[in-house]
Formats: sequence, structure tokens, C-alpha cells
Amino acid sequence: MQQAGSSGSETEVTWEDQQKINQFSRLNNRFHELEDEIKLAKETNDNLEDASNELILTDDDIVRFQIGEVFAHIPKDEVETRIEQMKEVTSKNLEKLEEEKESIVAQMDELKKILYGKFKDSINLEED
Amino acid sequence: MASTSASAIEGTVTERRGIPAAAFVEDVQTYLSQSGLDANSALAFFQERLQQYRVVEMKLLAQQRDLQAKIPDIEKCLDVVAALQAKKGTGEALLADFEVSEGIYSRARIEDADSVCLWLGANVMLEYSCEEATALLQKNLENAKASLEVLVADLQFLRDQVTITQVTIARVYNWDVHQRRTRQAIATTES
Repeated sequence: MQQAGSSGSETEVTWEDQQKINQFSRLNNRFHELEDEIKLAKETNDNLEDASNELILTDDDIVRFQIGEVFAHIPKDEVETRIEQMKEVTSKNLEKLEEEKESIVAQMDELKKILYGKFKDSINLEED
Repeated sequence: MASTSASAIEGTVTERRGIPAAAFVEDVQTYLSQSGLDANSALAFFQERLQQYRVVEMKLLAQQRDLQAKIPDIEKCLDVVAALQAKKGTGEALLADFEVSEGIYSRARIEDADSVCLWLGANVMLEYSCEEATALLQKNLENAKASLEVLVADLQFLRDQVTITQVTIARVYNWDVHQRRTRQAIATTES
């Protein structure tokens, strides 16, 4: 995000404008953080999917399931239940993150309209 | 939000945890005459402020990364203690494969775990009952999350000050350019 640029224009920047610019900057930062978090959450989701698929294929009764830094020997059924729970947690988390991202994009568009309306060419709010 | 009066800004913070707030400049002309600075000195001052903000930002980002790494670790520890507690009731032993050295694993048989040892740092390890361990780890987790929240708020405040300073630099620069142009225009019409 670029800050208010210059073409020697006369438009004055009020405190409200400054606060809107600050708000836009905050939203933009949060947006990038969210994109990273969403990527991580999707990866975790995929890993859990792969894990549960592998589980269906395996013949063993005991599966080595990672808890902390060690692999505990746990019966296959229990592992299935655990993985289902983890999948639910991650998908809920992913949903929440996606929702937050949408709301932020909407807020940023609102602010863009207002700021471009007042400053036109003197401000650049696009990604570089 | 701040009041809408043209000259005074009520309710703004002057600094936060050692980070000075960037004073918002209502009017460039007034600011420069009040402070007695010319455009270049003002720009130099703001640039230096910006540098100082960047240094603090680096420090806070490093702290944030540390905390963000610590939190999943504590959660993993809580999982392990919970697993041990779950096995306690059943009377079965917990078989676990653990890493002895890189690429080399061995099997451990953990019978009825009444207590666990927690690594507290500084080469100190203490034995706790499972309940005490859970309580301690839970407390550490909450402290870490609370510190992270404060840190994130600090970073937001800092970034706001950086944005304000950048906008002020742009405005002072524009004003200066505008001044030069008007002076040149006057000079050419007079000559």
C-alpha cells in the first residue's frame, strides 16, 4: 500500500482522512496475515484428509499417532475419531478466517471509494 | 474517535509503552512557522523519526515470531499430558515411539503416569503431578496469548504512527514544491 503521493495538489488532509488512511493500512496488513493463515489452515486440512485416507487403506490395528514429539501406539478406531475431531476444528477455523477475509475486503473497498473520491490521483491504495 | 474541531485533537495518545506518537499536522504552513523549521529540516526530522519507528518495528516483529512459535509448543505439551492422564485410568501402558537421535527411534513403555517432568528453562526440570502440570501449562499458555495480544496492539499503534509520519513527509514535500513553484512564478513575472 502506498501512502498519499504528490502531484502538488491542494487537497488538505484532515485528521479524519488520516484516520481512514491508518485504518486502511491496518486492514491491509491484517488481510495479508489472513492470507498466510488461510494457506496454513488449508494445508493442515489437506494433511488430515490424506491421513484419514491412508488410515482407511491400512490393515494394522495399532497406528502410530503423533502426540507432541512422540508417536503413541493407539488403536485404529481411536485414531479415526481423533482425526475426525481435528478435521472439524480446522474446517471451522478455516471458515472463520475466510469470513474475516471477506469482511476486510469489503471494508477496504469502502475506504478506497471514500479516499479516492477525495484525493483522486494524489493517493495510491493498490498493491505494488 | 477524535473531536472534529479544526485546531485541537482531543483524546489522542501521546505515546504508548515507550513509542512516541506522531503528532498530526493540521496545516503544513502553521506547523513550519510554529516550529521555526524550514521544509528540509522538517523533512530530515520526520525521516529520522521514521527510522526509529522501523527499528522498534523490527524488535516487536521478532518478539511476535517468538511468541507465535512458543504457543503451539505449549499446546503440544498439554496434549501429551492429557494423553498420559487418559491412559492412567485404564491400567494399560502407553507405548510410544520417540526419537533417540536424528533418524533413530526407540520404543518406550509408559506405565501408570502419576507425574511428569516439565522443562522450565535454564537447565531446570521439575516433577509435577499430571494435574499440576496441566494447570501450569495452561497458565503459561494464557500468559503467552495475552502477551501476544498486547504485542499485536503495540504493532498496530506503531504502524499507525509510521503511516502518519509518511503522510506528513509527503505533505511537507508537496508544500515545499508548491512554494518553490509560486516563488518561481512570481520571479518570472517580475523580471
